Amino acid sequence: MYPRPIGEYHRPASLHEALQLAGSGRGGAIYIAGGMSLMQALKSRVAEAERLIDLNHIAELRGIAEEDGGLTIGAMTRHRDLAAQAGRLGAYEAIADAAAHVGDRQVRNRGTIGGSLSWNYVAACLPTVALGCGAVVRSVGTSGERVETPIDAFQKGALTTALEEGEIVTAIHFPRAPAGAGSAYRKWGIVHDALPVIGVCVHVQTADGRITGGRFAVTGLADGPARSARAEAQMAQGFAATDAAAISACAAAAAEELSPPGDAWVSADYKKELIAQLGREMLALAAARATGG
Amino acid sequence: MAQTIRVVVNGRTVERSVPERMLLVDFIRDELGLTGTHQGCTYEGVCGACTVHLNGEAVKSCMMLAVQADGEEITTIEGLARDGALHPVQKAFNEHHALQCGYCTSGMIMNAVDFLRTTPAPTEAEIRHALIGNICRCTGYQNIVAAVAAAAAAMRARAAE
Repeated sequence: MYPRPIGEYHRPASLHEALQLAGSGRGGAIYIAGGMSLMQALKSRVAEAERLIDLNHIAELRGIAEEDGGLTIGAMTRHRDLAAQAGRLGAYEAIADAAAHVGDRQVRNRGTIGGSLSWNYVAACLPTVALGCGAVVRSVGTSGERVETPIDAFQKGALTTALEEGEIVTAIHFPRAPAGAGSAYRKWGIVHDALPVIGVCVHVQTADGRITGGRFAVTGLADGPARSARAEAQMAQGFAATDAAAISACAAAAAEELSPPGDAWVSADYKKELIAQLGREMLALAAARATGG
Repeated sequence: MAQTIRVVVNGRTVERSVPERMLLVDFIRDELGLTGTHQGCTYEGVCGACTVHLNGEAVKSCMMLAVQADGEEITTIEGLARDGALHPVQKAFNEHHALQCGYCTSGMIMNAVDFLRTTPAPTEAEIRHALIGNICRCTGYQNIVAAVAAAAAAMRARAAE
């Protein structure tokens, strides 16, 4: 576990400078954000950096701001800072739910939301929350063109995104949610706060105490996080926010639809049960948050 | 391929030329000879033994490059004591027998010091949650948790004086 020689290390102070470094036409550039996944890849030599461009000193990539009633989170905002927002995120509490249990304190002190989304590991929390909450990923390419990509189009499967070479995620935008919206995320791992075997993010819309629609995203699948069309169809049909039977049926539909194969540690049946149980709990919690319960 | 970096380590500025790929933990141990920071899991990033403070915050020093610490402040276990007096967390680890082999201890203490800075009156559950990133293979967690709780109480008492 030791990196191959790294050709150059750069520490740009601005986005412009970072893009110029990456776009110099020489290739071989890798951005490092918090490094909590990338350093592992460099040390195990899965990844190699001819030129490493460190994004940790670009102030414009950090921070949490309200924008048009929605929420915009700078890509280099750390998990620790997101976790500290618990209770203040309105329809997007799922972000703090997830950030508070990524890895451990040391990882949360370094790891970033933009890094996590860019890496898009198959069992990761923040990409699942972004998918479940319908986020929009803002990025800028080496040509300087700014792009907004809906999360469904941004995520392209395991460790793959719509990002092109040299493109940097600048922020993740969570659009203004109508009144009566709420979200929740929880995972189950082999040990506490480990990478999720299964994680579920639910975002619901409610009106007059009824769920009227929402999004249901699951992580721990072979191809990265995915939504359950069946669960979302049931939510769109609508049921009372406290209807335990309807909540169970909705989560069970997701488990049936997305159930991943077993592995050396966890059987397929167990994963299915995890989707069903976490789904029930997160639907109920998101609904309770949405209705102020 | 090397870069010259200047890092404030335990209050003293050091300047060295280091290869870009050198991990921060190796800079601390091999370049500076501060061997109180341990490597437990051969750089896998899972054991927490190499935890140090980067600008006051607990980080695993095998998960960063030394060049990333250029211009920053690093505190290691050697930098905790003040005027020859152990830090309250060090003192509590001693008094509560919170170490057996001692290998994980410096990382545990560095993490606990940062934790108590942000959470001065933790519950037992919060202490256990805070220490997830630090593995003790002697399974001495009971005494470690007790020591962190005692240190928190001692630090609160001292702050109230």
